[in-house]
Formats: sequence, C-alpha cells, structure tokens
Amino acid sequence: MPASARGSTGGRIRERRLALGVRQAHLAARTGISPSYLNLIEHDRRPIGGALLGRIAEALDTTRASLAADVDESLLDALRAAGAAQGLPADDLAAAAELARRYPGWAAVIAAQSERLAAQADTIEALSDRLSHDPALAEAMHELLSTVSVVRSTASILASTPEIDPNWLRRFHANLDSDSRRLADGAEAVVSYLDRAAEGGDDARLTPPEVAARFLDAHDHAFPALEARGAEAIPDLVAELPGAEARALAAAVLRGDAEDAARLPLSMLQATQEPDALLEAACGDAALVLRRLGVTDPARGLVICDASGALIRRKAVAGFGLPVFGAGCPLWPLYEALSQPGRALTRRLEMPDGAVWVAHAVAAPLPQTRFDAVPTARSTMLLTRAVRDRADALPVGPGCRVCPRTGCAARREPSVLPG
Amino acid sequence: MTEAEPAAPGRVLLVEDEPNIATALAFILQRDGWRVSTHPDGATALAAVDRHAPDVVVLDVMLPGKSGFEVLAEIRGGPRPDLPVLMLTAKGQAKDRERAEALGVSRFMTKPFSNAELLAAVQQLAGRAVADDAS
Repeated sequence: MPASARGSTGGRIRERRLALGVRQAHLAARTGISPSYLNLIEHDRRPIGGALLGRIAEALDTTRASLAADVDESLLDALRAAGAAQGLPADDLAAAAELARRYPGWAAVIAAQSERLAAQADTIEALSDRLSHDPALAEAMHELLSTVSVVRSTASILASTPEIDPNWLRRFHANLDSDSRRLADGAEAVVSYLDRAAEGGDDARLTPPEVAARFLDAHDHAFPALEARGAEAIPDLVAELPGAEARALAAAVLRGDAEDAARLPLSMLQATQEPDALLEAACGDAALVLRRLGVTDPARGLVICDASGALIRRKAVAGFGLPVFGAGCPLWPLYEALSQPGRALTRRLEMPDGAVWVAHAVAAPLPQTRFDAVPTARSTMLLTRAVRDRADALPVGPGCRVCPRTGCAARREPSVLPG
Repeated sequence: MTEAEPAAPGRVLLVEDEPNIATALAFILQRDGWRVSTHPDGATALAAVDRHAPDVVVLDVMLPGKSGFEVLAEIRGGPRPDLPVLMLTAKGQAKDRERAEALGVSRFMTKPFSNAELLAAVQQLAGRAVADDAS
C-alpha cells in the first residue's frame, strides 16, 4: 500500500473493506452512493467526511474514528499544495502523509508558510485593485496633476516674458498664489487619505456595495438568526451598518438568503453536504443548492455574477483567492455556465499553487418582470476543496492581476506577480 | 480668399472650465500669434465652432455638462469633421486616451505639459512650422 493510502481516510476504507471481503459495489449500494464514487473516495480522489463517512463506518462494522485519517486531511492538503507549487514529483507528493506523521512540527511549519504565501497573494491583489479602481484616489490625483500643470504653465510664462504687462503680471501672481495653495491642500489631502488607508481607517470612503460586502465577509456570509427567525431578523442584523444605502443592499442579500433558508432548511443540509443529494429536496433548483451550501459551509466558497460577468457576491475561502474588484478568471466555469443557462456544470480546477477544487456552477434566468423585458441570467459557482489529483483538472487562477500563469490564452491584463 | 489666408492669424478654440488654466493657455497661445476664444463648457464651444471657424480646438476632457468626449464626437459628426482637435487630460488615464482615439482625436496630451509642448502641438495640427523656442 502506498504511503498516502496508509494515512488517508480513503485508503483506510479500502483496507477495511478488503479485509472484510466486501465488494465495492455492495458497500456502495449499502451507503447510497455509486460504485464509481466509492472508488474515487478509496483512491483519495474525492473528499470524505460527515454523514457519508458515518454510513460507511457502520456498513464496515467499525467506527468513524478508526476510518478517519491519522493525519489531519487539511494538513495533508496544505503539504501537497506546498509541494506541488515547488514542482515536486508525484511520488514525493504521495509521501506527504508519512512526512506529517514522522515530523508533525516541520509539516505544520511548511503548511503554515504555504498558507501565508497564499494570504500574501490575496493582500497583493486587494492592494493592487484598490490603487487601480479607487475613484477617490484617482480624482485626487487628477486634481493634483491639473494644478501642477497650471502652476508650471504660469511660472514658465513669468520666467520667459520679461516685459509683461503689469495687469497680466498681477493676474498671474494672484493665480500662482491660489494655485500653489490648492496644490498644497491637494497634496495634504492625498497624504492624509493614504495614511488613513494604511491605518485601516478608510471605512468612511467605502462605497455602499463595499460596506455591504464587508458586512457579509465579517459574518462569513452565515447568519444563524436568519436560519432561526427568517426575514424578520434582517432589520436587527443590518442595523450595525453605516448608511441607508449599504443597509438596503445588505438587507436585499439577506432577504434572498432567508428565502433560500426557508426552501432548503439547515436540517436538510445537516443530513448531507453533497450537491447531487440535495437536488431533490431543492426541487431541482441547482442554484439554490449551491447558494445554501456556499453560505452555510465555512469550508466552501461561493461566487455569483450577473449577466455581464460582474461579481455580485463573493464568499472567499482559504486557498482560492477572489478578486476584490472586477471580474475573476475567465476560465472559471462560472462564466461557462453563463453561456448555457439551465445546464449545471461540475469542473475540477487547479489553482496556481497546485491545490485542486471542485467547482459546481449553474446559470439561471431571473424572473421575468415584463413580457417585453430582455431576459437576463445570473450564474452561481460553489467551490469545494478536493483531494489533490491534477490529472483532469483545468488550470485556472484567482484573476489575471494576481495570477502567475504566463502564456495563458485567456489573460486580459498583465500580472503584478513574477511569472 | 487664397491670398488673404497666409497673412491672417490662426484661430484656436480653447475649451477649459478651470479659469486659471484657461488664462495661462490663452496667454501663451496669444503670445505665439494665435487668436484665442475661450469657452468654459462644451455647449458654448460647439456653437463657437460654427461662429469662429477655428483652425484648431484645444479641448479638456473633464468639462461641466457635455464632456470633452461628447464635444469631440459632435465635432466629428458635424459640418467640419476634419477639424484638428487636441485633447488634454491628467496622466494615468489610459482609458481616456483610448476613448479619444476611438472618437477620432487628432492628438492627445497628458498633464502636466510644458508651454512649448502645447504650442508645438497646436502649430503641428494647424500645419505650421514648429518654433524652436516657444517656452
């Protein structure tokens, strides 16, 4: 048995099943999954946990604990991601579990450093987006440059025109006086703005959508009060937000979440976390399943875009960077789904650090408000960390500005990261 | 008609809402021999295109009411579609340049620029020889 199997949950399931002489098809039937899906689990190609692991343990007459990996799966995944990012061959990646068992301290250091690098990439992305899309900063710089321009022109006139009419001379002196003050005030305002931003005190300059997005992020998009009390909890939840517009935006999102919670209650999600298994309970509404899993499972990411491709909801998840502003990676199935409304897609994605994700995506038309209105769609994508196997994974990125993949045919702008 | 044009001073239509910039630019253009009419917004500037028959238009991007882009588009769609237009904006506005080029701008200058650069651009657009020292 390879080193990876000894430490993994999938390997232990397979080992236990073979020891009991149980056929794969038999175990699959008893636990309500397909034989091919069980095969993927046993070979560490699908994550396993929750209720399904419990059913398998019961069918194999053992306990969940005995089947669970002796090494934290998330640590294993982080180690494999760190190794893959450095181009380690597959045999070395397979030894991650052995490394974690023999040198747990060093393994934790490697995993922590890898996650720190990912966090720094996220920070770089946020800063670069801020500088290129901050309207307040852009307007302040425009004002400064315009003032510099007039000071330069006026000073140049005075320097190159020794015999200037006294009226013009007075006028230019007055203009220089007012423009130099304006220049000083503008420079001071920009410095002050940058200082406040550096201290994290730029909340007052956030737009209402940014305030609403921060509010959702601060709660990780999960609101127990909404699950328990529905829409009546919304006024209390958004009361903390500054500004009526931001409160209205956040309330609109929460109203949608409350409707979703009523249609697919938390109790159903506690029974299973598999999107396929939830479709029936959701009356076939795939987008509803993805939204509910996205907002209730902290280990999953959720992205929603409108028909233009603009991201209107971002729930980030560690390891899968989402752009703060603008669109994401053009290769995400989020956009592929947009071109085929109604067709649910499942894609395996490989991020630049080697981590593999399963993305479920579907686009659905918005309700028609008028018979002559142009129909429009909204696309939803759920992100789930997968067991590392890059064989059939599509290489994607977090968005062009912070994606190190050179030569990508879908690239729309240069990356700020070294290739 | 042909005998009078070489001797007549050229006309520049300056569209700039910031009074101090307009004052400085008008002064250096007049000192260089141009007849300058200054307009603080796009609507009055467009009316003046017909009235003053300028040789060159110097047009700021950010204007109250009609933007510089709208003014440029109307000039290109009007009776003098080939009228040379020099647009001015602050640096770092790559999208402004692209938009202006798509609308058919004759030349685009970013602030801050020197007086000599502005005069050279106006002279070039009007088809005149560029002075050696125009600062």
